[in-house]
Amino acid sequence: MEPTHTHHISRQYNAELEEIRSRVLQMGGLVEQQIEQALNALVNGDTSLGEGVIMDDTKVNELDVTIDEECQHIIARRQPAASDLRLVMAVIKTITDLERIGDEAEKIARMAVRLADGERPKNNYAEIQTLGNHVRTMVHDALDAFARMDAQAALQTAREDRQIDQKYESIIRQMITFMMEDPRTITRALDVIWAARALERIGDHARNICEYIIYLVKGKDVRHTSLEQIEKEILGRRT
Amino acid sequence: MPLTPKTTTPKISVRNLNFYYGEFHALKNISLDVPEHRVTAFIGPSGCGKSTLLRTFNRMYDLYPKQRAEGSIEMDGENLLTTKQDISLLRSKIGMVFQKPTPFPMSIYDNIAFGVRLFEKLNRAEMEERVEWALHKAALWDEVKDKLDQSGLSLSGGQQQRLCIARGVAVKPEVLLLDEPTSALDPISTAKIEELVAELKSDYTIVIVTHNMQQAARVSDYTAFMYLGELMEFGDTDTIFTNPAQKHTEDYITGRYG
Amino acid sequence: MSYAKTAENPIYRRRRRTNVLMLSLSSGTVVFGLFWLAWILIVLLMEGTDSLRPALFSESTPPPGAAGGLANAIVGSLLMVGFGTLIGTPVGIFAGTYLAEYGKTSVLARATRFINDVLLSAPSIVIGLFIYAVYVAKVKHFSGWAGSLALAIIVVPVVVRTTDDMLRLVPNSLREAAVALGCPQWKMITAICYRAARAGIGTGVLLAIARISGETAPLLFTALNNQFFSTDMNQPMANLPVVIFQFAMSPYDEWHRLAWGGAALITLSVLGLNILARTLLARKT
Repeated sequence: MEPTHTHHISRQYNAELEEIRSRVLQMGGLVEQQIEQALNALVNGDTSLGEGVIMDDTKVNELDVTIDEECQHIIARRQPAASDLRLVMAVIKTITDLERIGDEAEKIARMAVRLADGERPKNNYAEIQTLGNHVRTMVHDALDAFARMDAQAALQTAREDRQIDQKYESIIRQMITFMMEDPRTITRALDVIWAARALERIGDHARNICEYIIYLVKGKDVRHTSLEQIEKEILGRRT
Repeated sequence: MPLTPKTTTPKISVRNLNFYYGEFHALKNISLDVPEHRVTAFIGPSGCGKSTLLRTFNRMYDLYPKQRAEGSIEMDGENLLTTKQDISLLRSKIGMVFQKPTPFPMSIYDNIAFGVRLFEKLNRAEMEERVEWALHKAALWDEVKDKLDQSGLSLSGGQQQRLCIARGVAVKPEVLLLDEPTSALDPISTAKIEELVAELKSDYTIVIVTHNMQQAARVSDYTAFMYLGELMEFGDTDTIFTNPAQKHTEDYITGRYG
Repeated sequence: MSYAKTAENPIYRRRRRTNVLMLSLSSGTVVFGLFWLAWILIVLLMEGTDSLRPALFSESTPPPGAAGGLANAIVGSLLMVGFGTLIGTPVGIFAGTYLAEYGKTSVLARATRFINDVLLSAPSIVIGLFIYAVYVAKVKHFSGWAGSLALAIIVVPVVVRTTDDMLRLVPNSLREAAVALGCPQWKMITAICYRAARAGIGTGVLLAIARISGETAPLLFTALNNQFFSTDMNQPMANLPVVIFQFAMSPYDEWHRLAWGGAALITLSVLGLNILARTLLARKT
């Protein structure tokens, strides 16, 4: 039973559910763009791009509030049940994570603005670029799974979080090595660690979103559950 | 396979129940267990057979020729459909409250005493005590204690319905059947009756038929969804309202085309 | 073709004209009916009131030319109407109960209802003749009992019909509520249904009494008449309608006066009973 949020007797209700769903995708698109531009600002030392990202975070926050209110209205006026209820719940949680992702992007952008005038590292933040691309793809895939209500894809995407964590850890180890070898790199290394930390957090939020999608589609709360267990439960049960 | 909620003892066990209004096959092979000391709700669109099912539990259909039931409905190990037990005795163990309030054309006091007198011989003091107890149970005592000798018809709709619940409770049944008990009432009276259902469930096994899904969600522990005379899904209310297994159930409770 | 929605709209005007015409026609017939009714009442009261003296109630019917009252006829009427009601009402209520609570739409019930309706509209003289044939002719004398029986037969269909109708007006939900408490059917009928329908059934009985208190034809062949005061139900018995009939036909003026008095008395009693029945039925709701 795949939930489709249409075919209610009340067409107005269909429209309302469709509205919050498309707003989430809109917010997701904005957040994706924020990550991309924050990374570009960092890598290219582009101050104005970085400042643009910082400015646009208010747009993300506004969308968060708007969608929250819309969900509140639906709950108060429609008393959604079953898949509709799960959609509204999933949306409320998803936008919280999207808003946090926006905050992390803003963090990176602030760092980009601060570092823009300084000396560029030799590898031009290659490790951050790799990690950043990976995280961006993950956020994109998570939103894609949301748009298609695809639990399988969400599960696949959630798995990416592990690799992101591994990449993050290897960056940390690398930076620690640098700092031990040459104390003059400490400032620079710490910046990289902060940026990597922000990206790793984005990965965690993206994983959360994937879990909400699985809850939404399969009606099973899979938070705080290992991936193997999720796989067993959602693939074993009604497909 | 009968649908049985786990971790509860069944009070009423329905097996392969078929019901006919003349030629019309109204209930098709229903099997389910109504758990003891819990509230079980029957929901479904009009004409799905939920009231019909409820009315088989006290054999109300006996009143009407051309209505008949096949299969078995066991309560305390006895098949209600074929029992040699006197039907009146059986009904005294299963109270029922109807869609529209049905106070008898007599005083409030006599409305309650009427049922008690059918099976018990109480002296005046005992009867007064029983009437007060029943009215307390139905949360009506404070509103009527000074006018027990007035006609039951003088009360408001919500009060009348609570009087009917008090009347049903007064004979100390084991099971309470509520057939859309609040469909004719305003929201405040409805809330009072829902509160009552929650209070009463520690002493009685309650089965409620309702058109109001939110009501089923609010008051019941278990929910059965019926459609076109069949039991589509039966499970604990939380699951039915957040993650039903059947498409039909989902469509009904979310208000989609049937 | 469509017209403007104004007072000049021809369809609207035609409807208005029809309305005025129909209203005048029906009001006219009401006035016509009431006119005759009022006339009858006025004549009765004008001719009858001067006879409504205490002597009317204390003295028996006089021989021609003498003064007297209608005491024997009043008592005879009361006795026969009383016994007629006492015999007819239980039979009617039981039969009506059977129809509404047990027979319902069965073949027997439907046949009974049909026959009852025939009986309801049967000319009362036929009923008088029937009692004459099966009772009076057998025992070879007229009697108060025969009169009561004839009246009872008129009471039965009226009471059957109202009991049946009134019980069927009792909502089924009330029956179900009683039965759901574990109430057996006979108890449900006596304690709940009768109580719910009592005003209606009572009204039916009152209307039946009103109907029989003016019946002349069935008594002509059964109770006949008696010049003397008698409470012996086995003897011919005086009664108001027959006395009125005989006295009005006579050439004596005193008798005419008494006939007018009796007629006024009956009319007023029937009017009183009808008003009582109306109030009873109105109080029910």
